[in-house]
This record gives sequence, C-alpha cells and structure tokens, in this order.
Amino acid sequence: MQNPDEIKLITRFKNGDASAFEEILLAHQDRIYNLCRHMLGNAHDAEDAAQDTFLKAYQALPKFQPDASLYTWLYRIATNVCIDRRRKPVFESLFGGSDEGEQLVHDHASDAPSPEKLYQSKQLGQALQESLDRLSPKLRAIIVLKEIEELSYEEIADVLDISMGTVKSRIARAREELQKYMIQFREQNPAASV
Amino acid sequence: MRCPKTKLISPYLDEEIGQDGKAAFESHLLDCALCSQALEELRVVRMAFSSVERHQAPYGFSTRVMARTAELERKKAPWFVPYFVGFAEAAVLLIVITAGVLAGKVMTNNGPAGGATNMASSLSLDVFAPAPQGSLGGAYLAMTEMKK
Repeated sequence: MQNPDEIKLITRFKNGDASAFEEILLAHQDRIYNLCRHMLGNAHDAEDAAQDTFLKAYQALPKFQPDASLYTWLYRIATNVCIDRRRKPVFESLFGGSDEGEQLVHDHASDAPSPEKLYQSKQLGQALQESLDRLSPKLRAIIVLKEIEELSYEEIADVLDISMGTVKSRIARAREELQKYMIQFREQNPAASV
Repeated sequence: MRCPKTKLISPYLDEEIGQDGKAAFESHLLDCALCSQALEELRVVRMAFSSVERHQAPYGFSTRVMARTAELERKKAPWFVPYFVGFAEAAVLLIVITAGVLAGKVMTNNGPAGGATNMASSLSLDVFAPAPQGSLGGAYLAMTEMKK
C-alpha cells in the first residue's frame, strides 16, 4: 500500500511535473543502487543497471497503479534489470571497499574494527563472495533481497511476483547452497577461519 | 538422514513462522539434534551477511538519470517537429527582414503611403547618398561645391 506522499508525487508526475520524478529518484536512488551493486558486483554495472531501472520507471510511471508501494515496484524493476544483465561474476567487491566515486554507509563508523576482526571479516566475506557467485540469478536475487535489503517474505513475494511458499522454499534453498559452498571453500582454503 | 522440519529453519531464523509456530519449533529443537545443528550452521551463513557494506548512489547519479529522461522526452517528439521548427525559424527571419525594410523606408520618409513609385525609389541606392539633402552634411557639401 502506498503512502499519501508517494501518491501525491505520482499524481504530480502524471500531470506533467518532471520535478516530481526527481523527488522520487532522490528518495529511492540509494536503495536501488545498493541492490544493483550487490546483484552485479561492481560499481560500473551497478550504476548502469540503476540508471536503466529509473528510466524504465520513468516510462512506466504514468501507468503505475497505486495498489503496491513504489519502492517494491522499483525493486521489481531493478531485480529484473539485474537478472537480465548477468554479464559479470557477481559479488566481486561485496566486502572489497568502494569503487571510485562511490560512497559507503557505515552503521557504526565510530566502532573501528580490530585487525583480527577485519581479517576474519575478510575471510568470511571472501567465502561468501565465492559462494554467492555460484548461485543462480534467481537464488542470488532472493538472498540479496532478504539478507542485504532486509525485505520481509511478503515484500519479496511482491517484488519477485511469486507466492509466499516459493519465497520460503527459495530462501531455504539459497541458504542451503550457500552453506554447502562455504564449507567447500573452507575445505579448499584451510587457512581461512570461516 | 534429514528431519522433515528442516524446512522450518529458514522461516524461524527470519521470524516468519508466527508465534505458535515459533514455540512449536523451539520445542522441536530441544529433541532434534539434526535441526539444532542445521540451525547453527545457517546462523553462520547469516552472520557472514552482517558485515556486508551498504553502498550509496555515486555523486551526480540523479543528474545523470535526469539528463537521460530529458533525452527520452526529446526523442518522444514527432518526426516532423524538427522540420516544423526549421520552417518557423525561416518564417520569423523573413518577417524580421521585411519589418526592417519597411521601417527603413518610414525613417527615410519614403513609407508605403507614397505609392508604387515611392516604393521603387525607396529601394534605390539614393538612400546611400553621401549626405541626405537638408542634413548638416548636405549643407557642408553644398558650400564646398559653391566654392569650386
């Protein structure tokens, strides 16, 4: 369900006010970019995909029906754009810092991690990265929406246009596969303390 | 060997199982070593995501998107619009030139009221005489002619 502010913005846009779209863009650009970034693994592809997402939204917004929330609708477009791309291995830099021009958000910027924790985090990140690379795009999408974007099952069902049962089974399968791949990573890299 | 209730582990981790389901599954965990172990293993997987960084859109992102939407709007215009704009520009230019010519005639007292002959004379090169008759320059030239 949409909030009244979103409905007003969409109405303004439908009446020809281009600045209303800019407001929508500014409100959602970080979430959409973050999703694309984690789906595609690098800043360049993520920016292309995020731009394509908003262009598709711009073209489709006049036909948008206010029976779903705007961000769910944008997530759906972005997920489909990213699944369609699949040009490069994903999660290349999930933990590897930011690319040029990109900004990172640190929830606890003042809590500087110790070198040991940084090392462990890097090892864990590497294991997760390689494991995620091996997931199919559909499983990758669902696990990113759940674990990184922190959407509820209901929201994921809405974004991916699938049933709640499918959401449950896909998330469970994605985690099982991730677990399996992470164990394999640990066996192949005994030095990694995953 | 696999417990049929392992499918509940993910919804349990995500708190998508409901209060009754949660209590029942926690009770099951006390008796099922397989599910308890699987739960702990999946917690490790979840923990790996806890240090994933969030990225913000790069600087200038919205400007680049808005530029692309403007480009889309330009492409939406019908094919004949550029030709129409060119025609309109040419028409405006013609009107300005005509208005300039007419204004020039009025300023040299040879306006349209003077008739067709005046129109012809107004377009003659006499307009560009060294000094119009009756002007200060014309009087000076007349005096120099008289001296000769």
